[in-house]
Amino acid sequence: MIISQTLQSAIDEFNKFPGIGRKTAQRLTLYLLRRNTDDFEQFVAVVRALKEKIHECPICFNFTEHDVCEICSSPKRERGQICIVEDASDIMAIEKSNEYRGLYHVIGGVLSPLSGVHPEDLKIKELLVRLRDDEVKEIIMAVNPDTEGEATSLYLYKMLKPMGIKVSRLARGIPIGGDLEYSDEATIGRAVIDRSAIE
Amino acid sequence: MALEHVELNNFKIHRKTEFDFSDRLNFLVGGNGQGKTTVLEAIYFLCTTKGFRNSSDSECINFDGNNFEISGKFRDTISNDVRVYFAPGESRRTYFLDGKPVYRPSSIIGKFPVVLLTPEDHELTQGGPGGRRKFVDAILSQASEYYLGCLLDYGKVLKHRSSLLSQIKVHSRQEYLSQLEVWDEKLVKSGTVLINKRGEFIEEFAEYITTAYRRIFPDGEIPFIGYEPFPGAASSINESFFMEKLLQRRNEELRRESNLTGPHRDDFIFSVDNKNLKSFGSQGQHKTFQVALRFAQYYYLKNVTGKKPLFLLDDIYSELDKKRAFNISGYLNDIGQSFLTMTDFSNYEQVVNQSSDKVFYVKEGQAQREN
Repeated sequence: MIISQTLQSAIDEFNKFPGIGRKTAQRLTLYLLRRNTDDFEQFVAVVRALKEKIHECPICFNFTEHDVCEICSSPKRERGQICIVEDASDIMAIEKSNEYRGLYHVIGGVLSPLSGVHPEDLKIKELLVRLRDDEVKEIIMAVNPDTEGEATSLYLYKMLKPMGIKVSRLARGIPIGGDLEYSDEATIGRAVIDRSAIE
Repeated sequence: MALEHVELNNFKIHRKTEFDFSDRLNFLVGGNGQGKTTVLEAIYFLCTTKGFRNSSDSECINFDGNNFEISGKFRDTISNDVRVYFAPGESRRTYFLDGKPVYRPSSIIGKFPVVLLTPEDHELTQGGPGGRRKFVDAILSQASEYYLGCLLDYGKVLKHRSSLLSQIKVHSRQEYLSQLEVWDEKLVKSGTVLINKRGEFIEEFAEYITTAYRRIFPDGEIPFIGYEPFPGAASSINESFFMEKLLQRRNEELRRESNLTGPHRDDFIFSVDNKNLKSFGSQGQHKTFQVALRFAQYYYLKNVTGKKPLFLLDDIYSELDKKRAFNISGYLNDIGQSFLTMTDFSNYEQVVNQSSDKVFYVKEGQAQREN
């Protein structure tokens, strides 16, 4: 099939997005082409602004368009707690719950010697700088509970514990609205061990 | 559970072959290369979504065909119709359960339990420890999702850890030693579960082996299956004991850049009358032990999952004397549905002793039922 070079490069760009295959990339490109000029300019402006205005918060590495992110600069947030997450998208997930009032720290990955990710590749030094401030009383580990995530939690735990900071991690167990019968054994086993009193 | 009907279309030597199976014993009789084992493989495909011989999907297509299809009808199960289809140009074969495609083979594991006994089983008693670990892991994974989870986790930890060990050595990164401690703990945590589960399993499984072995060869030989994760120590251990053993070889691990301690190096000892089978067993003892292992697996899975597995036996009689062959046939009558291939039926006419058994002659990819 012969296709315009310009069209092809646009399709290739969309194809690089996570979860976007060749066909979807083609649909998105053609969709853009059919927009009227105003809509198209609007789209381009929004995309451009992403890179121009958004940057990492120098404290927690969340995305922000201010000098310091909304969470770090909010006087309403509990400053004694820092929640460690892998990625900024995890902050969005936790924020949606409206249950957490503390601060965050994005470490930007997990330990994985196999793919060459070591402690110095994560934002750990930056975390230690934040901890010099005596205000921090508790670190909450919220990295994914897979092999590499658990290893990362353990690494940080070993490092932070001698500093006299309380280290906790998100509880794991039966999902709310979930069916016990359909939960896997590992989850049920964990839920039994981490059971909590009914109050 | 029983497999009532199977149809093979352009699957290897079979152009179009249909079977209405007995829910007791089914004999597939024919010369070499006529397509007997292919029928077993088709059944294995239906039960597990996978084949057991290492051939690619496109190699499974008959020379005159463009695609292959295996379909089967089960009875007494929630899902009844199973179909496996592959055409070149599709990246992989598709597995259908009651007409709906299934993309995760793991969702099929344990749905149609199957036990397979093949001539390659000689690896179990005569080969290296890897084959024995695979045997034990396969049974435990079918019986416990928790075990499977720990096994996968342990495998990942091993890879990360060996990679880290070599990075410490090659780039002499001493600062990674504190990271190594973390992987040590992960290794010990999942590893301890594996060791203790394997220990419990072997203890339980030993009785199944003894029962099976005695049924096949009742003349007083005593089979034994043993497991010693750490020589001289009990098979049930705790994490701190494992950690101690791990740290004893720290320097050697760093020097050799590999994981030297843990259940990935386990072996299981098979013996008959207190003599190590691998070193001192006769051909007959090896074969008997292999058959006993599979019968034991059958009964263990039946008791743990509550379902009767299908039993596939590929060419088991060729290396056994008449007496053992006869005992095995008697034993099979206690079992649910089974499928046996054999090259020569004349010597074993006596093994068919139930009117419900069926005999199929397989020749050049065609099957004919005897009266």
